[in-house]
Amino acid sequence: MTLSHKLKQGSYLIVLSSAILIMVLAFWKPHVLVEGLQRACLYAVIALPMALILGIVGIINLAHGEYMMLGAYFAYCLNVYAGMDPLVSIIPVLLAFFLIGMVSYRAIIRYVLGAPELNQLLLTFGLAMVLEQMANLIWTSRPIKLPLRYVSASATIGSFTFGTYEFIYVGAALIVLVGLQLFLKRTSMGQAALAVGQNPRGAKLVGIHVDRTYLLIFSLSIALVGAFGAIFMTRHSIFPLVGAPFTMKSFCLIAMAGIGNLMGILWCSLILGIAENFLLSFRGYAGWADILFFALIVGVIIVRSRQRQIK
Amino acid sequence: MRISKTLLYLVIFIFLLTLPLYTGVYLLNVMDIILIYMALALSWDMLLRSGQISFGMAGLFGVGGYTAVLLHLNAGLNPIVSIILGGLAAGVLAWLIGVAVLQLRGMYFAIVTLALAEIFRVIVRNLPDLTGGPEGTVLPSAIFAGNSTKTYWLTLSVALVSVITSEIFRCTRVHFALTSIRNDEIVAKSSGIDVFKYLVFIFMVTSAIQGLTGGAYAHIYGFVSPEGSFSVDFTLLPIAMALLGGMHSTWGPVVGAVLLGMVSEFLKLQIPYGHLLVYGLIIVIAILFFPQGIVGTLGKNLKRAGGA
Repeated sequence: MTLSHKLKQGSYLIVLSSAILIMVLAFWKPHVLVEGLQRACLYAVIALPMALILGIVGIINLAHGEYMMLGAYFAYCLNVYAGMDPLVSIIPVLLAFFLIGMVSYRAIIRYVLGAPELNQLLLTFGLAMVLEQMANLIWTSRPIKLPLRYVSASATIGSFTFGTYEFIYVGAALIVLVGLQLFLKRTSMGQAALAVGQNPRGAKLVGIHVDRTYLLIFSLSIALVGAFGAIFMTRHSIFPLVGAPFTMKSFCLIAMAGIGNLMGILWCSLILGIAENFLLSFRGYAGWADILFFALIVGVIIVRSRQRQIK
Repeated sequence: MRISKTLLYLVIFIFLLTLPLYTGVYLLNVMDIILIYMALALSWDMLLRSGQISFGMAGLFGVGGYTAVLLHLNAGLNPIVSIILGGLAAGVLAWLIGVAVLQLRGMYFAIVTLALAEIFRVIVRNLPDLTGGPEGTVLPSAIFAGNSTKTYWLTLSVALVSVITSEIFRCTRVHFALTSIRNDEIVAKSSGIDVFKYLVFIFMVTSAIQGLTGGAYAHIYGFVSPEGSFSVDFTLLPIAMALLGGMHSTWGPVVGAVLLGMVSEFLKLQIPYGHLLVYGLIIVIAILFFPQGIVGTLGKNLKRAGGA
């Protein structure tokens, strides 16, 4: 039973109360709503590929945020040495990270697919450390930010001014979500991937090439998150540790939405994004916003384990 | 056989106890670091024997350190007492977290512990009146006024606590309970093992050891800070040590800690900004090629050679 299911099943009370909450918020602190939406979509774009890997390949990739960090550095290098705008460099980064994903899968991930979950967690943790420290060696830990004029674009409605550039996250989240849904539901390759996710042995029996599907899904996810790094670095400064919190937040969202529920991730990231921005909007409490996701994940786990006990 | 083994342990113990007589200050400081990491690696491995994986060492280590330093400064407690209380604080905290989270195990537990260091860092940074905020807190003087022989004995006793705890667990029913939980939880449950209780218990004990270690470390170096006390080093190095030495045993992490501890002294000088890369690589390579670690692989080969 996932959150979005409950919403769909017509718990009108929840829908109504959240609508009222949003209305109140829109008048009281409109920037919380707008920035919350933008932040939520930032989280959603990063969480979606991770959910794809977890749902289909069945591996929790603790190096997920690190791939995004590498993608960001990649875009930075393309900008410095080839003069490419980060938003243009999305395409080469996407291709490069598809390859990097393939190499990672072939060289490392493939060997722990059948291993205990413990080994998988340890391996991806080690991988995360390797990637992080590699970036630390190459680019040092100094934060880097490109001076881009267009990222500070803003709009004003009445007395309320907000940044418009960040809506690029909303666009990216929608493109990734819709694209993935279409891919998984409408193409034969996507349907094969879903089948593998449900039951690898059964999929093998009906003639699906399981290993190739894993390879495709893993590389696709790494490509998506790497390419998003290029968008990410236009607005944020990047440093080797920038990706790590996103791994944890992504997992928090996946746990909330339920594994395999891509649509739910968007709803859950809305909750997390708006709640974080709500906390950030109070002076003196801003520092606490970073632990909100932790409270959320512990809460989710408690609720989940209750549900399991009742069953 | 048994007597000779006991004798061997006794000789090693006496040698370690009297080590300050034969060596200089530098080597003793290196030993301090090795013993601190040994305690962490062993405590991590103890939890691993139940099939649960924790990435939260740095968090509990830092909590122990902060508790010890703050109790010593604000309540004027004896440093040793404050170190023990630091361990207790980490244990109580782990109990709370364990009760909340250990119902859902595996990756849920792993991720929650992965977030621990980050969470405690945020909390410490946001309570400047109590903890000194981002700058941390400095003690007026280190424990034993920096006497390296006494600090060595302190770290030695911390490491011994973890070795003895590990051996006690290995020789009692706790070992069987944890091993069966790791192998098959349903079978363990149907044999009458209270899985949840055992997991919370072992998480609490190992966290208390990590807190104890953190307290000792904080008192030896005389300061705590959000970046230093919750540093990823305290998670990454012990895992690399335990994996290199060999999981699921007492001597694996001990061997790994001694080996990597000495190597790390060398690496720090060679690649000061990226030496952590090596530990990440060790984790990846160990998992891929020799998940049994050095002790496990050697033991298997010795047995095979003995049998042939």
